[in-house]
Amino acid sequence: MTSVVIVDDHSIFRSGLRAELDSALEVVGEAASVDEAVALIAELRPAVVLLDVHLPGGEGGGGAEVLRRSSALQGQVRFLALSVSDSAADVVGVIRAGARGYITKGSSGAEVSAAVAAVAAGDAVFSPRLAGFVLDAFGAVAGEQADRDDELDRLSAREQEVMRLIARGFSYKEVAAELFISVKTVETHVSAVLRKLQLSSRHELTVWAQQRKLL
Amino acid sequence: MEVTATSIRPELARPRSAVLGGVCAGLARHLRRSEGGVRVAFIIVSFFGGAGILFYLWLWAFVPLERDSSGEGTGVPVSRRVPVAVVLVIAQVVLVASEIAGLVGGRDAVVNAALLGVIVAGGGAVAWSLLMDVADPGRSLAYGTAVRTASTALLLLAGIAALLSHTQGFNAALGLVAIVVAVGVLVAPRVVALWTSLLAERAGRARDEQRAEIAAHLHDSVLQTLALIQVRAGASSEVARIARAQERELRDWLFAADLPVRVDLATELREIAAAIELDFAVRIDIVTAGSALEQAPAAVVGAAREAMLNAARHAGGEVSVYVETTAESIDVFVRDRGAGVDMASLPDDRLGIRESIVGRMGRAGGTATVARGAGGVGTEVHLHLAGGATA
Repeated sequence: MTSVVIVDDHSIFRSGLRAELDSALEVVGEAASVDEAVALIAELRPAVVLLDVHLPGGEGGGGAEVLRRSSALQGQVRFLALSVSDSAADVVGVIRAGARGYITKGSSGAEVSAAVAAVAAGDAVFSPRLAGFVLDAFGAVAGEQADRDDELDRLSAREQEVMRLIARGFSYKEVAAELFISVKTVETHVSAVLRKLQLSSRHELTVWAQQRKLL
Repeated sequence: MEVTATSIRPELARPRSAVLGGVCAGLARHLRRSEGGVRVAFIIVSFFGGAGILFYLWLWAFVPLERDSSGEGTGVPVSRRVPVAVVLVIAQVVLVASEIAGLVGGRDAVVNAALLGVIVAGGGAVAWSLLMDVADPGRSLAYGTAVRTASTALLLLAGIAALLSHTQGFNAALGLVAIVVAVGVLVAPRVVALWTSLLAERAGRARDEQRAEIAAHLHDSVLQTLALIQVRAGASSEVARIARAQERELRDWLFAADLPVRVDLATELREIAAAIELDFAVRIDIVTAGSALEQAPAAVVGAAREAMLNAARHAGGEVSVYVETTAESIDVFVRDRGAGVDMASLPDDRLGIRESIVGRMGRAGGTATVARGAGGVGTEVHLHLAGGATA
């Protein structure tokens, strides 16, 4: 059983999501504001937190604030961001604050369950739109490419391929088949991109973050 | 009661193109007399204690302007042939001259009368210029400025002359009044402009605040509910489609209303996708990367539309569209998860793919590939056009 905490300020949405989630997931708690969420997560230490990007309370930082204030727990608790809009502007903030991925609220129960399972297993969840944003932000579209694998500010050739396929709507399995690699390798690449997205000090990302006072 | 058209008098109304107030012309038309006759009558009656002038002013105030020929209310501005402001400025000149003559000759009564006249004429000229001439297409902006400058200068001259000479009492007071009026005339238009812009700004801010409040409220309640409906109803069901269309409309209205309309490739494709989603049980997800393309080549847009339509018609469900624009090329991928098509076995009458996609891209100098999707599921159409932003 994977323990899940749902953080969303709309009780309708929480109960709706709860009813839709897979039976392998156990919802152990719900929170409706930043402060409530931080306290509840520290107390329950669930495997996965489904975290709404827009949340009332705290200092007004929403989902990203919950992530920052729970940063001590981020080894054990994994965060999956939920956003009513799938604009990159909403999502990159929570990703850089430590979320392992994001899905839109329009996703079906099965999709959410699969994403929760992936995050619980330590993988990153990339939507096509986030992949598109990453390709843009890391200059992949303009033809930039990392020379070394550990470079934080650019994507390697393989990472670009994986991101492009995800942007085209491929599942991890389909990406693996297309590139003749294992699903595990795809997941490794996606995690690496997520890490770069979180740690990179690339100009576009820092400017973006500064404009929204995330740094 | 039967009334024939000829028996009805023309409506009593002032024409929009007038000599002064349009009173004589309007009255003449109403009474079916000649304009000249009416004018003469007014002038004659004016000699009896100014009755004509009073009657003229009374009619001016209460007779409505004639209805707009364009039928749009007060659209056509009123133009007046008599340059009233200039006439008043000339009167000011004459009065200032007689005031100075009175000061030199030591005749206080003349000075007082002249000073009063200068103040009234000056105020009248400026008021006329600001209230009437501004809206008159026959008077230029420079004309108004010249009138107001001359009038102000004459007021100042009259006031200073009255104060500098050694006259006492009422004279000095009138001189002061002239200077005050002159200063007021100088300042008034700016104060009025400032006040108007302040009011407009306040109204604008109130509107923005209200809009933000509504947006926040709708974002918190309606958008969430629409998202929930989509989840509960299943991604490609009828209900979810309606909810999705509503959500998009609302989102556009809330967040994009203030932005200038920029038609780039991504926007165009999103609009097409929105239209298709209304007609078919399909959810089209559009992802874009790369620089926004202001002038999207028609061939790419047309072929992409056809590919999306095909996917919606024959596959349905989830359709992924990925658009990548670089300086060198445009790539569009349209991917569905339907039964898939086999190009070789397509009947010739399936114009959709052969002509509208492959043919169209070929003529534009690009390529179109239609292939099975990843893992043999569905179809993926790949449009490629070299040349990118310059195409």
